[in-house]
Amino acid sequence: MKNDKVNTKTIKVDYLARVEGEGALYVKIKGNTVTDVKFKIFEPPRFFEAFLRGRSFCEAPDITARICGICPVAYQMSSSHAMEDAFGIRVDGQLRALRRLLYCGEWIESHALHVYLLHAPDFFGYDDAIQMAKDYPDIVQRGLQLKKTGNEVVILIGGREIHPINVRVGGFYKALTKQELNSLTEKLKRARDIALEAVSWTAKFDYPDFEQDYEFVALRHPDEYPFNEGKLISNKGLDIFVHEYDNHFIEEQVAYTNALHSKLKERGAYFVGPLARFNLNFDRLSPLAKEAAHSAGLSPVCRNPFKSIIVRSVEMVYACDEALRIIGQYEKPEIPAIPFQPTAGTGYGCTEAPRGILYHRYRVDDNGRILDAKIVPPTSQNQKTIENDLWQFIPKYLDLPSEELKYDCEKAIRNYDPCISCATHFLKFNIDRE
Amino acid sequence: MKSLIDTLSSIAREEHASKIISLTVKLGALSHISPDHFREHFIHASRGTVAEGARLTIEVMTDTTHPQSQDVLLENIEIMNS
Ligand SMILES: [Zn+2]
Repeated sequence: MKNDKVNTKTIKVDYLARVEGEGALYVKIKGNTVTDVKFKIFEPPRFFEAFLRGRSFCEAPDITARICGICPVAYQMSSSHAMEDAFGIRVDGQLRALRRLLYCGEWIESHALHVYLLHAPDFFGYDDAIQMAKDYPDIVQRGLQLKKTGNEVVILIGGREIHPINVRVGGFYKALTKQELNSLTEKLKRARDIALEAVSWTAKFDYPDFEQDYEFVALRHPDEYPFNEGKLISNKGLDIFVHEYDNHFIEEQVAYTNALHSKLKERGAYFVGPLARFNLNFDRLSPLAKEAAHSAGLSPVCRNPFKSIIVRSVEMVYACDEALRIIGQYEKPEIPAIPFQPTAGTGYGCTEAPRGILYHRYRVDDNGRILDAKIVPPTSQNQKTIENDLWQFIPKYLDLPSEELKYDCEKAIRNYDPCISCATHFLKFNIDRE
Repeated sequence: MKSLIDTLSSIAREEHASKIISLTVKLGALSHISPDHFREHFIHASRGTVAEGARLTIEVMTDTTHPQSQDVLLENIEIMNS
């Protein structure tokens, strides 16, 4: 170590690094026509898929949770469900309820971040939440409080804030007591009130007149608003089991981006996320969430992606409501996890991450060693739809100076809450006018 | 992240450093990125660069009213001279 000291030196930098570059948009305009739109995102799943090969099945929930710091629960849930599918086990009863509760926490946390800190500033013409916090400190504080409550749910059930460690294939490492869950009740009631305010607040925003004929894809469960399971359906006739995913969806390698473009083989681009869930599962929302939606003038089918901010708020109401329902009916399960033996096979899992369906597929051998992994995150599924929106959106604003056009494009992209939040005001914007 | 890596590379070049041993970054309270998430991105982005394998220290700031609360500040880096 002494030798190192001779050769090393510490440099004070004080360099402000906007963490950008993960998202980039290239727009080409000839005269008054948009001739090219390319939206690029940085995405790590490909690297994780390779990394998973040769690992044990039980590592999948923890490894994949690291793909995203905003929706780690989704990755844990999809991977756990896929493995359980491969081994032929079913997590039911209170363990299943506990998983739903964990998911509620993640939705509250992720939606609160997006609604208050990322998306709302767009509707007021602010560049970011800092500016908005100056003029609306109370609102930003409420958003942070909501986010914190979501966090607390994830910490309590998941065991850790960022990358929960309590989730395992078959259930949990430790099941919580009723008393432990009760500690969340008052906070969740307060959070639900804030979420209700968020619905009426966002309903008053000024929305661009922009509607497209999307194909919405989401899970559909016989009697629940979907988190962990259901069939995959769409408003244009898709109705399949999760294990049929690969028969209907393909991923296309696109030269200009790390991410693969996901398409429906039959029809092309599709739309996943809160708006899709809401449109396809409105009848499964809790009465309170339904009522909130109605009083906000929101009903299915909503085809305006900018209104996804209202839908996210409605989903926060639902998530708080559902969390309170689960806690009310909870009894500590006898065992924290279902016992099982790994067997060779292929398992499929698809769950509703805050920003849309997250598909996992694993092939494992007799020892539960991963032979092959496939992960399709929601953002890559929406990527083609995002580009399509921009094709429609940009021509209306062609006369704007490039800076303003950039701002509007960012807004259009932010409707989808692309999981590059690390790079939220992210856009490297290249505009090529001829 | 790319701009951070670019900065690290150019500092390393200026200083004739063969390797970056460690670096410290501060995450603003509203920077929308968790330390672990940042770390994942850093590991991914630094691969094959002079910063690969560097020890990353992350400090999280809590002041939401700080003018740079949405940014990421690279505080210092420790380099090994060639
Ligand atoms: Zn990220």
